[in-house]
Amino acid sequence: MSLNLDTEDDFYLEENRFKQCCAEFIKHSQQIGDGWEWKSIKDFPDGYMSKTHFQMKNGNTPSIFKDSTKENDEQTFTHVEEALDDSQASEICATSEVIRYEYHVLYSSSYQVPVLYFRACFLDGRPLTLDEIWEGVHECYRARLLEGPWDTITQQEHPLLGQPFFVLHPCRTNEFMAPVLANSQRENRNINYVTSWLSIVGPVVGLNLPLSYAKLVSEQNTKTD
Amino acid sequence: MLHALVSPGRGWDGRTAANSLSRHEGVGGAGSVAAELCVRRAAYAWGRGSCLCRRCAAPLFLHSPAPHPASALALVDVLLKAVGDTPIMKTKKWSVERTRTIQGLVDFIKKFLKLVASEQLFIYVNQSFAPSPDQEVGTLYECFGSDGKLVLHYCKSQAWG
Repeated sequence: MSLNLDTEDDFYLEENRFKQCCAEFIKHSQQIGDGWEWKSIKDFPDGYMSKTHFQMKNGNTPSIFKDSTKENDEQTFTHVEEALDDSQASEICATSEVIRYEYHVLYSSSYQVPVLYFRACFLDGRPLTLDEIWEGVHECYRARLLEGPWDTITQQEHPLLGQPFFVLHPCRTNEFMAPVLANSQRENRNINYVTSWLSIVGPVVGLNLPLSYAKLVSEQNTKTD
Repeated sequence: MLHALVSPGRGWDGRTAANSLSRHEGVGGAGSVAAELCVRRAAYAWGRGSCLCRRCAAPLFLHSPAPHPASALALVDVLLKAVGDTPIMKTKKWSVERTRTIQGLVDFIKKFLKLVASEQLFIYVNQSFAPSPDQEVGTLYECFGSDGKLVLHYCKSQAWG
């Protein structure tokens, strides 16, 4: 049992490092088709990671999107239009239950940590309330939300887009990241802060990272050994 | 010595577990068919509170798994390591059903360490990545296991307030 000399102050994420971590993260996302992109704002040095995905209200992927996994975005949109033009009642009913989730990972200079912004809306543009979003989140995650070190989800204006988003408040981020970072430092392992952080906070708001993101880090470590 | 985490039922605690184990040490010994059958049956019979092995009617919870029945019984060997100032578990090596989820394992460790409900526990693979709560241990073992076991790090976060 060792004395814990590592203070939480040692593990803040510097902005350039944030951007580096995002770049690695997105590179892997592209390899596995996970849909994350870097968005930058014209004339601003700031940027953020963004992902949009669609889900049925009951949690399934809508069938109109199911065949698109091997196709590019343009063809996906074609399929959507075809489905809506057809008078197939089942598909039209289904589209009203399709929810568009948007997740943005921004950098908070005041807290020096990443921050998760998210919102969801139906295809007709009607936004979901926080309760409605949580209806789509598994029971065990809801319990975790009540217990977790993220006691604040608030609605705020997106700092770069100026639109209302829900935000997982970053004030406790350093608390749960510090032990992981301290451990990795002790073991001389490189970890991707953004990947680790998102793997922890993501499930709480319905965002699950495929396991291959975890393998990415270990491959990098093997290369540096 | 490896312990089998078949399924935590009501009234389970470390002492009950240890008692069960010692009672079964002599049942055909490790690697015996009797021991294998016991664990297999217990996985389905937990809740009735007693061993279905023909040799005894003792409350069954734990068994010393034999060298190779782990895969036959759909169990994987897991090594739990504490991170930060999280309490270290006295027993670190466990045999866990493949279908047990991360959330299930979190609940188990929290009970074992007697954490309060408001304390959160995270489990990591590769010391850095928290799998989703509904991820199964079997899948994690296939992706991250080495030397016949899966190493998982666990860390508690401070309670609220």
